[in-house]
Order: sequence, then C-alpha cells, then structure tokens
Amino acid sequence: MDVMDRATAAGMAPKLRIRDLNFYYGGYQALKNVTMDVPQGKVTAIIGPSGCGKSTLLRTMNRMYSLYPEQRATGEILLGEENLLTTRQDVSLIRARIGMVFQKPTPFPMSIYDNIAFGVRLFERLRPREMDERVAWALVRAALWDEVRGKLGQSGQSLSGGQQQRLCIARCIAIRPEVLLLDEPCSALDPISTAKVEELIHELTADYTVVIVTHNMQQAARVSDFTAYMYLGELIEFGDTDKLFIKPRKAQTEDYITGRFG
Amino acid sequence: MAATEHISKQFEADLGTTRSRMLQMGGLVESQVLSAIQAFATGDAALIEQVIENDKRVNGYEVAIDGACNHIVVKRQPAASDLRLIMAISKIVTDLERIGDEAEKIARMARHIHEQGSQHPHRFPAVGHAAQIAVKMLRQALDGFARLDAASAAEVLKEDSAIDDEFRSVLRQLITFMMEDPRTISPSLDTLWVAKAIERIGDHAKNIAEQVIYIVKGTDVRHTSFSDIERELSKD
Amino acid sequence: MTISTPLYRARKRTNVAMLAVSALALGYGLFWLAWILGTLFYEGGNALARATLYHQMTPPPGADGGLANAIGGSLIMVSVATLVGTPVGILAGTYLAEYGRRGWLAGATRFLNDVLLSAPSIVIGLFVYSVYVAKAGHFSAWAGALALALIVVPVVVRTTDDMLRLVPNSLREAAMALGCPAWKMIVLVVYRAARVGILTGILLAVARISGETAPLLFTALNNQFWSTNLNAPIANLPVVIFQYAMSPYEDWHRLAWGGAALITIAVLLLNIVARALLRKAR
Repeated sequence: MDVMDRATAAGMAPKLRIRDLNFYYGGYQALKNVTMDVPQGKVTAIIGPSGCGKSTLLRTMNRMYSLYPEQRATGEILLGEENLLTTRQDVSLIRARIGMVFQKPTPFPMSIYDNIAFGVRLFERLRPREMDERVAWALVRAALWDEVRGKLGQSGQSLSGGQQQRLCIARCIAIRPEVLLLDEPCSALDPISTAKVEELIHELTADYTVVIVTHNMQQAARVSDFTAYMYLGELIEFGDTDKLFIKPRKAQTEDYITGRFG
Repeated sequence: MAATEHISKQFEADLGTTRSRMLQMGGLVESQVLSAIQAFATGDAALIEQVIENDKRVNGYEVAIDGACNHIVVKRQPAASDLRLIMAISKIVTDLERIGDEAEKIARMARHIHEQGSQHPHRFPAVGHAAQIAVKMLRQALDGFARLDAASAAEVLKEDSAIDDEFRSVLRQLITFMMEDPRTISPSLDTLWVAKAIERIGDHAKNIAEQVIYIVKGTDVRHTSFSDIERELSKD
Repeated sequence: MTISTPLYRARKRTNVAMLAVSALALGYGLFWLAWILGTLFYEGGNALARATLYHQMTPPPGADGGLANAIGGSLIMVSVATLVGTPVGILAGTYLAEYGRRGWLAGATRFLNDVLLSAPSIVIGLFVYSVYVAKAGHFSAWAGALALALIVVPVVVRTTDDMLRLVPNSLREAAMALGCPAWKMIVLVVYRAARVGILTGILLAVARISGETAPLLFTALNNQFWSTNLNAPIANLPVVIFQYAMSPYEDWHRLAWGGAALITIAVLLLNIVARALLRKAR
C-alpha cells in the first residue's frame, strides 16, 4: 500500500475503496491487483498511456462491464460496506448512485426536457411542477440553463457538441448520484467547451465525488485534487496532484509526465 | 533523475542548450569575480576595464536564458523534474547576474582605491580569504548544478557562515583603522564596500545551491535551518 | 513532375469508353421501365379516370362495373396481415439485435429468416392451403391474410434487426449508466432511435404484399360481391387482375389494366413515403 497518499490517512474519508481488483476481457487480464481509495468530495484523475486500463478501471466502478458476458472482475469495490462486484442488489440501483458520462456525447433522440427527465422518471414519481424544477436545477448545475431555457422542447441532438456533453452531465446529475464517473469527457470538444466543462467539474465537487479519466495530462493537473497513474493494468502511483506533477515518487510516473515515453 | 531522453528531440535539445548556457554564464561570472579580486589586489587597470566591460555580456546572458525558459514553458508545459529545472534556472540566472554586478562593483572600488595610491589591499588579507571562500562556494554550487549533486550543494550552505565571520572581522579591523587615522576613511570605506560585495557574492552562491537542492530533491530549502536541511536530504 | 502523355491519353480514352458503356446500360434499364409504366398507364389510365372504378363491384362480362370489392378486399387482407405480422416481426427482430449476442440461436434464426425472406410466395400459399384451407374446407380472407402475414414477418424481422443494430452502442450504454433496466432501455431509447428505419421496413413489407398474387390464389380466392365476411372467399386486386386478364372480354381487360395501374401507384406512393422518411432521419 505504499502507493497510497497520506491524504487518506489525514482524515478524508474514502467514498470508494478498491481492493485487489483484477479484470479480464476473456483470457486477457486488463487490471492487475489494483488497490486505491477514491476520496470523498474530491476530483480524482486517472492518467496513463493508452491501453493502461484507466477506462477499464472506471467502468468497473459502475458495473458497466456486466453488459458484456466475456468481461469479468474479481476483488472488491466497496461503496460504504457493500462490495459492488458481488452485491445481490439490482445493478440499476448501483448505477443510480454512481453515474457515468462518456467520451462521445450521447443525447437521447428526444427533447432536451425528456432527456433530463428520463433518468428521474426511472426512480422517482414527481408531479409535473416538481419535474420542471428538477430539470431546471440540473440544467443550471450543468451550466447549460442560460443557453437552452427557451427551447426545452427541442431535440437534444440539435445542440452543439459542447452543449450535448453538458446535457449528458445534466442528465447524469438530475438523478442525484453520489459519484460521477467521467470517461474522457472533453476529448471530443473544442477548447472553449472544454474549459466550460472543466469549470463545471470544479463546481460539482461541492456535492459529488468525481473520478475523471483523461489522456490530457495538463487537464488532469488543472482539474483534479488527486491523480492516479496507471501503466499496463497496474496502479503505479497515487497521490496529491500538485505533488505528483512537481515531484512524483516513482521514476515511471516521472517518465510519463515529462514525456520521456508514452 | 530520469535516465532516458524525451520523446521530443527538440525539447531535449532546448533543455540541454539552456543548461549549458547557464553553465557558460556561471563560468563567465566566476572569472569575473576572480579578475575583480585580482584587480583589487594589484590595481591592474586593463583588468579593471575588462571586468567592467564584460558585465554587459553577463547581462546579455541573463536576458537570453530567461527568454529561453519562457519559450520552454509556453511550448512544453514542463512537469516534474523539467519544471523544477526551468524554475530553478530562472532564479539561478538572477543570482548569477547579481554576482556579476558585485564583481563589477569590486572592480570600480579597486580603481578608486588604486587611483589614490592606497596600500589597503595589502593590509587586509581577510578580504582575500573571504574572496577565496566566495569563489569556492560559487564553483561548488555550479558544479553541483552540472552534476545534479544535492549533497555537494548542501556543503555550500555550510560555508556561508564562514564568509560572514570573515566579513565581521574585516569590519572590525577597518573600524579600528579608521578610528586611528581619519585620513584613511575614504579608502577604508572602499575596502568595506568590497568586503560587503564579497559577502553578497557568498549569499548568492548559497541561493544557487538551494536551487540545486530543489532541482534534485524537489524540496524548497530556502529560509530553512541547516540541521533541517540535513535531515531532509538524508530522507529517501 | 513529368506526365507521360500517351499514358494519360490512354486513361482518358478508357474513361470515355466506360462512361459511354454505363450510360448505355442506364438507358437500357430506363427504356424498359418507361415502356412498362407507359403501357400500364396508357392501358389503365382510362379505367383509373372513371369514378365507377372505385365504387362499383366487379361486373359480369358485358356489364359496367368497377373494382370496389377488390380494393376493399385487398385493403382488409393487407391490413390484417400487417397487424398480425408486424408485432411478431418487430419482437423477433428485437430479440436478434438486443439479446442475440450470445449463443447459436440468433445466428441460426437469422439464417432461417433470410431463407424465408426469399421463399417463393406460391410455396407460402400452398403451405397455408394445406395447413388451414384444406382443414377448414373453404377458402377465406383469414387464410389470405395469414399467407400475407407469413410474407410480412421475415421482411420486418430483417429490417428491424438491421435498423436496431445501426443504433450505436454508446446510446445503450448511456441509458444503462443511468440505471435503466434493459427492457426500458430498448423500448424508450433504442426503438425511438430506430423508429424511422423500422417504420420504413413495415412500409416496404406492405408494398411487397400489396401485389402478391400466388398465395391469394390458394387461400382467399375471389368473390364477385362486396363482402366483409373474413371467413369466406373475398375479392382482391391481384386475383381479379389475374382472372380478368386471362379472360376474352374487352371490358374485363380494361378493368384488369386499371387494377394493375392502381396497385402500381399504391406501391410507388408507399416507396416514396418510405424514402422521404429515411432521408429525413439521416
């Protein structure tokens, strides 16, 4: 456990505790004995070269891999006292607590309003006025309200790329999850939309725990409080972002972030 | 420190060029100090003019190296050891330029003293001692930078108190001198400025050594006591 | 860069030659199409223009009449066949696209479906005859609708399967990531995303069965009068055209041409609507 940072010992309760996580795509092992704490109410970034397993790790956290029969995971991911990998609870309920935003914006083929109400309607029975308020709240939190307030009836797919991604984020937070998983949310966006989403991430930490996978190191440095560096399925180093980017403990981390390989 | 090269050869080249330019500036400044001290001892007019003239080159180096550092930051957004290196070079270059200024001041004082035909330089070997220590500190700090050797840089920090002692002793001697014979006040004051300049050179060399420790260890040891520094360096 | 002139000229010659050949082929195809359509509307245009076509029943030879009962019968059978075949087709197509990733059942089903898709419709007609009509002892509209439904199902299965598989997986994952159960994800998100394609598939199936004659010969037969009794033989356009065209009577020939032109126009309209919908979706 020497890769763990003092911070978790310093009293920041972990939201998710990952212990000895191994992941297999059929016969190929993509994650090897990953042990990590995701601190509550903070942004944790996962960086590493392509194929290192960062997206795989993210997708185990909300049991996304359960959709595909040849993918399996062993080990523990503890949310509170419950191991998400072996729980008897309905997987949909887990995903209501741990939401995910994907690399490619995926608005549903319905109006902006319905896009956001979709998730809420799965779990809650709200009166029309309450639903209106929830939709508005989600759009405000996602910094999209001002741009769409007059056209909630328009198709979600008529928005620009950056707006679509913020719509997906609004859709995700409308069901009030506890954890937000962001899988390279800005890689399909232009610099200004990227900046808006990054600003949004910063504001979201007031209420949510955020885990973001990014291949852009500068983004990880800008946006996160903690950073995990992965390579070939293993967690190499985990620590405070400033410290990791100024004085990393492992030579492998140093080599990656200074561009000596990768 | 990383053993492998950057994937970007251009980046590797830029870093290498900036480092060696800084070392060149260090070498120039070191010879400036040596020449200035010698001019103080001998009154060699040609040497004095050379030192004063060369200060322009020192200033030129400062501007050029700072520009190169800005270029690297803008282009590469350096991280970890590269970041520490660039930040440190930017600061070291400032200290080197000030050392150059002090050397020029010493040369001017030397000119002033020798125009008046004073014998002061021979009467105050302590000034020469202090100068030797200062040059050694500078040399060792630059050497520590070239070899990225934090332990050797830490040695420099110890020497700083030695220079302070020498300076205080020169000060006492000069005060006694001035009290005995008021006609010697003018050259005494010049000698005092020279001693002060040497003491400042020692301070700047100490700053450079602190930056070297930052590059290698990642710890900012400025304004830290020496015992704390030793403890810090013995870790990992 | 030096360009070899003889090489360039040879390429140009080949280009011109191939363009000419393609244009000729196009002209050849268009020629026949134009001739067919021209003949159809020339012969049937008269009958189409007369209002009696649409409200009078099929007449005995020599008398004046229309195709009202045939139109009615065709509409009834096509509607029933569509109503029966579409849900089966969509659900089967959904199974193939959404749940058929694992195991051998999906692959085998797709293969069988493709075979059924290209089965000669007369075989389907004979099948329904032996299984239903012979057992029941009489022809009926139900039998006709059943035969047509058996033609609709493979078409709808195929298009539904294809259209659903065109929906990107990222959309499914996005819905699942919100905690959506699988069936809701399919109904509320995937169907909505593929709705235009599926609708187009249904329209194409309808267009196909509108003109099928062979199966109706063994199942619905024909009826001279207006009938809404689905348990009895019923009039329908394809069989009427068949009978009237083979007859020696002039006015029956005219009605047959009219019927053929009517079916052609209906199929043409359905195809245009299908295409317009698809283009809008893209």
